[in-house]
Amino acid sequence: MRSPLARMANVYREYWRINVLTTLEYRENFLIWFLFTFVYHGSALAALWIVLTRFPEMNGWNFKQMAFLYALWMLAHALHNTLFSAVSDVPDHIREGEFDRIMVRPLDALFQAIATPGQVFPDELILAILTFVAACIYSGVHIDLLFVVFVPLIVIGGALIDLALNLAISTAAFWVVRVDAMRWIFVQLEQEFTRYPLSIYSRAVRVVLTFVFPFAFMNYFPATFFLGKPEAALSLPPLVGLLTPVIGVVFVAIAYAFWRFGLDRYQGVGH
Amino acid sequence: MTATLATTRPKFRWAPYLALASRAMAREATYRFDVFTSIGSVLVRLYLLKMVWSALYAHNATPAELPLHAVITYSAVALLMGLVMDIDQTRALHDRLHDGTIVSDFLKPINVALGFFADGTGEVLFHAVLIVPSLVLALLVVHIDVPPAATLAMFALSFVLGYLVGFWINFILNCTAFWTLEISAVQLIVTWLTDLLGGEIIPLVLFPVVLQKIVFVLPFAAMFSTPLLIYVGVIPPAGWLAAVGVQAVWAVVLAIVAGLMWRAGARRIVAQGG
Amino acid sequence: MAIIEAVDLRKVYRSIVRQPGLAGAVKALFSREFEETVAVDGVSFTLQPGELVGYLGPNGAGKSTTIKMLTGILVPTSGQLRVAGVVPFEQRQANAQNIGVVFGQRSQLYWDLPLRESFELLRAIYDVPADRYRANMKAFAELLDLERFLSTPVRQLSLGERMRGDFAAAMLHDPPIVYLDEPTIGLDVLAKEAIRTFIAEINRERGTTVILTTHDLADVERLARRVILIDEGAVIYDGGLERLREEYGTHRTLVVTLANPDQPLDVQGAEVESREGNVVRLRFERRRTSAEAIIRQVMACCEISDLQLIEPDIDGIVRRIYLEGYQDGAAGTPS
Repeated sequence: MRSPLARMANVYREYWRINVLTTLEYRENFLIWFLFTFVYHGSALAALWIVLTRFPEMNGWNFKQMAFLYALWMLAHALHNTLFSAVSDVPDHIREGEFDRIMVRPLDALFQAIATPGQVFPDELILAILTFVAACIYSGVHIDLLFVVFVPLIVIGGALIDLALNLAISTAAFWVVRVDAMRWIFVQLEQEFTRYPLSIYSRAVRVVLTFVFPFAFMNYFPATFFLGKPEAALSLPPLVGLLTPVIGVVFVAIAYAFWRFGLDRYQGVGH
Repeated sequence: MTATLATTRPKFRWAPYLALASRAMAREATYRFDVFTSIGSVLVRLYLLKMVWSALYAHNATPAELPLHAVITYSAVALLMGLVMDIDQTRALHDRLHDGTIVSDFLKPINVALGFFADGTGEVLFHAVLIVPSLVLALLVVHIDVPPAATLAMFALSFVLGYLVGFWINFILNCTAFWTLEISAVQLIVTWLTDLLGGEIIPLVLFPVVLQKIVFVLPFAAMFSTPLLIYVGVIPPAGWLAAVGVQAVWAVVLAIVAGLMWRAGARRIVAQGG
Repeated sequence: MAIIEAVDLRKVYRSIVRQPGLAGAVKALFSREFEETVAVDGVSFTLQPGELVGYLGPNGAGKSTTIKMLTGILVPTSGQLRVAGVVPFEQRQANAQNIGVVFGQRSQLYWDLPLRESFELLRAIYDVPADRYRANMKAFAELLDLERFLSTPVRQLSLGERMRGDFAAAMLHDPPIVYLDEPTIGLDVLAKEAIRTFIAEINRERGTTVILTTHDLADVERLARRVILIDEGAVIYDGGLERLREEYGTHRTLVVTLANPDQPLDVQGAEVESREGNVVRLRFERRRTSAEAIIRQVMACCEISDLQLIEPDIDGIVRRIYLEGYQDGAAGTPS
């Protein structure tokens, strides 16, 4: 009998093996979804470019810097979509009665939800990496040891922040049943708010985006630090940008507590 | 009692279509959380667009044709329009083609296309109701301009035409499901492009001049840009006729294409049995 | 030492009252009413290891709710429950390791991939030792004829093949207890027989305790020696199949085909169950009237072209219990 951790590692490896097999099975879909991803992010960047051609400066940020800002967010977001997208499917499983199958298996329920095989295309992640590299070059950001060490951590932290949101919304499905619209709105708002420097918002919004829905940690604070900008909104030192991994872990812990609460209720109330 | 054969063309009945629309509205209303979340998200978006445009206008040269209050009005009204325009009214058509249940639709004694339209209308009408509280928010939170009555009337007409253009585009896309099955990604791509190229996200007059030449020629401009530019006065009364005329032409052309595709597709279903 | 002990299980649901129509739906946006439903009302039973029990009841009787409590998915409102020494909802994962579940309507296999891949993932999830995995795969390949379609994507399997795959998947980790929920639904006769043979085999050879929930009473007749009947949340019968048949299968049916369809028919001691054309079904209690007496009356009054005497089957017995309620001891008189 393996230890629980070893068992989960083994299952996780199997899960990825099956993911790869399933994705290869549906590889015709790959091209069309890649195109969509390209258009989705491309049109956001295109919109930014169009606007900043006409209005070259935004609170001290130019297009090059905002491209870097977007690319950093995109990378964290893409990493989340690649690793944790199965969590978004939990509400459907609950609604269709398939969540019971997870409950009847001898593993942690959230882990099973994450490790549910499906089609996981790497297109967004590949595109995000390419875009980020291009943005680094284009923006002329200073790349040193600190950069190389911290950026991966920050990207992972950003993915965790996304996971916390994803998990919280999926947990809401234990009560609300239909969460698709809510999820869509949150993801859209996340994409729109993180596009612009935090400093353009009023103080109240800055507080919300820093301490309640910490999207500002996904890209704004780290970008402020690495682009050498003097101050990151809210009178915080730019160094704060390096805290993203910690923020990610904290918020996932909070979301996980909410998830346990929802699970308990699910067992008490049925569906 | 023996059944009588229907030998004459049955009289047109409103009842089944009204029932479909009403059921669609009830279905939308059951998702109570969504209603409040939608209005909440409108509020947030209104705030966002005000902040973004204010920041952009603060440190850069103001465009002559579109002062700050005009561009904020433009974006806010675009947001409200989007509440109804972003709905794919004939989505049910694509869905049922995709899973094969379309065959049962052809077995029902109602006009199939009209049935889809009625179902989608119910959904649209429900979302249209969201416009009222959203409009109030737009007036209070971002202080949108209210143009003279004549302009509003022309805007309304232009909006209806723009809606029709969007409706036919979506219908045509849904019809492609008669022939190929995996088109949801294509639809999403087109939706994204139309939002950008149609002027919903950024007024087309702010595009680089080179790009303006392209986007004003596409049908997408007829969906958002034309009504919005009328509203904020960038298209003066002298230009109303031409602008609305272009919309009408697009609406007619697309309607014809849609009709042809529907006929071809329906024939294919009936011939192949789904 | 009992393997399943349920004592006075109760489950009360609170649900939202839905108002009909458009007006009701809009009203529901602003206010909600709740109502309470008692799904399971004091269910108690004990199972010994190796038993094969049929758990029967009409829809909405509380069967699925009970099974959900046994499998750890649902927490009872009150009562005690121990399954293989574990309280299911308190130790969900430990309980899960001890059970296998087959939902007839829902497969646990991964749709897009060959059957074999599903087994590989389940092997990892249940941490099945290599030798047990090999032995079971070999045994199931024989018993269920899996070799043929081990490499076929699950979505291309027929219902019978997929069901056999689901059974193998449920048994892969050698659980001491299996729950089977509608395991033969939608299957053709041959596939049903194969599944039933498999169930009987694992029960006999491995001593696996089996709880079978089904509407196909032929499954029950073939496999179970004990049935628990549940209706409106309470156990109304818990005992051997034979005793049920003997005590409650006291009616018989005489099917008479008359020469003249309009012939009036009045028979003492029997009621007319149905009449279609010239076929009349007469039902009588064999403890009160003999078949001979009924037949004699029928032949005396009418011209008949055919006669058939039908014994009660489990289906009819159970149907009658659902409709009329169970009375212990002498069976109730037909209403």
